[in-house]
Amino acid sequence: MANTTTLEAEKKYTWGGGKSPFTVSYGKLMMWIFLLSDAFSFSSLLVTYGFIRFTFPASGANEIVKPLSHTADNFVEAMREAHLFSPEHWPLPELVFNHFPFLHGLHLPLFFVSLMTFVLIFSSVTMVLAVEAGHRNAKKEVAFYMLLTIFGGIAFLSCQAWEWSQFITEGASLHGNPFGPTAFAALFFIVTGFHGFHVFSGVVLNFIIYVNVLDGTYERRGHYEMVEKVGLYWHFVDLVWVFVFTFFYLI
Amino acid sequence: MEHTEHLEHTESPADIKKQIWRTFWILSFLTVIDIVLYFALLSYHSMWKNTLFILLGVVKAFYIVAVFMHMKFERKALAGIIILPFMLVLVLIWLVLIEGGYTFDLR
Repeated sequence: MANTTTLEAEKKYTWGGGKSPFTVSYGKLMMWIFLLSDAFSFSSLLVTYGFIRFTFPASGANEIVKPLSHTADNFVEAMREAHLFSPEHWPLPELVFNHFPFLHGLHLPLFFVSLMTFVLIFSSVTMVLAVEAGHRNAKKEVAFYMLLTIFGGIAFLSCQAWEWSQFITEGASLHGNPFGPTAFAALFFIVTGFHGFHVFSGVVLNFIIYVNVLDGTYERRGHYEMVEKVGLYWHFVDLVWVFVFTFFYLI
Repeated sequence: MEHTEHLEHTESPADIKKQIWRTFWILSFLTVIDIVLYFALLSYHSMWKNTLFILLGVVKAFYIVAVFMHMKFERKALAGIIILPFMLVLVLIWLVLIEGGYTFDLR
């Protein structure tokens, strides 16, 4: 009898104080609020990209460089001569992002960035598996999946470092761009850099949590909620990449 | 705050794992669709193509937020305070598209 009255009271006073009306802990709620504000930051960056992209006409040439075709070392110059790259036109992404490590000289548009996308989706899956193991208080499994997530993050960062160095070698910088308008390279570095920094922070946070899991901090606490909070952040980073991928490489 | 207050404990670990892998395959499939469409529509330039890619991105975002970030199992109030304010971005996009049209004409 006492039980039912408490339940009724709880239903009645959802917003009455003394408990979280969202049935999540303070920390988790604050993580959500932080992610909302971070989502606004990324939206403004991507909307800026969309705006500047929209104000430039797309490269009008209908010539298509076939995937897998062999290209000369002076690919960028050839594209400029064919007027596929010019300061007045926004460059076609498949002509800019067409490199793959160890396969120099082949035109492989979007292959590398697709690989990066799969790496990030997969690390998101291992993260959510760590959270699931946390619900069962399975310490060893949590540690294993956290480690895989950290490796996924490091793999993604390495891919990005390689892509940046490739881009810089070709002459792109914050104030110059051989492929077209200067804004293209500047926005690429700013947005992927901001996202990459988030991935880096995520790897650091994941590592701290991983050490704590091994140390038994959460086992003593009785729950693995910290893994969930860091997981929210990690999924958000994956979520942002979905849109960076869409805007920079597909549109 | 105790940890036992969650709403999802009716599902067994096997169910949750199955759902996680199902979401993984959906996300991978949509990414492959993205890439296939990109090559299929290589010489076709239009606003509709861009809208299609953005919509595919939104579908992927939905699966990540709903399943991976557990939003599907949280209270509606939580989903409301996160998703509703974010809708303001649509206003920004709308304004910027209008402004972008004028800037395009000036170039």
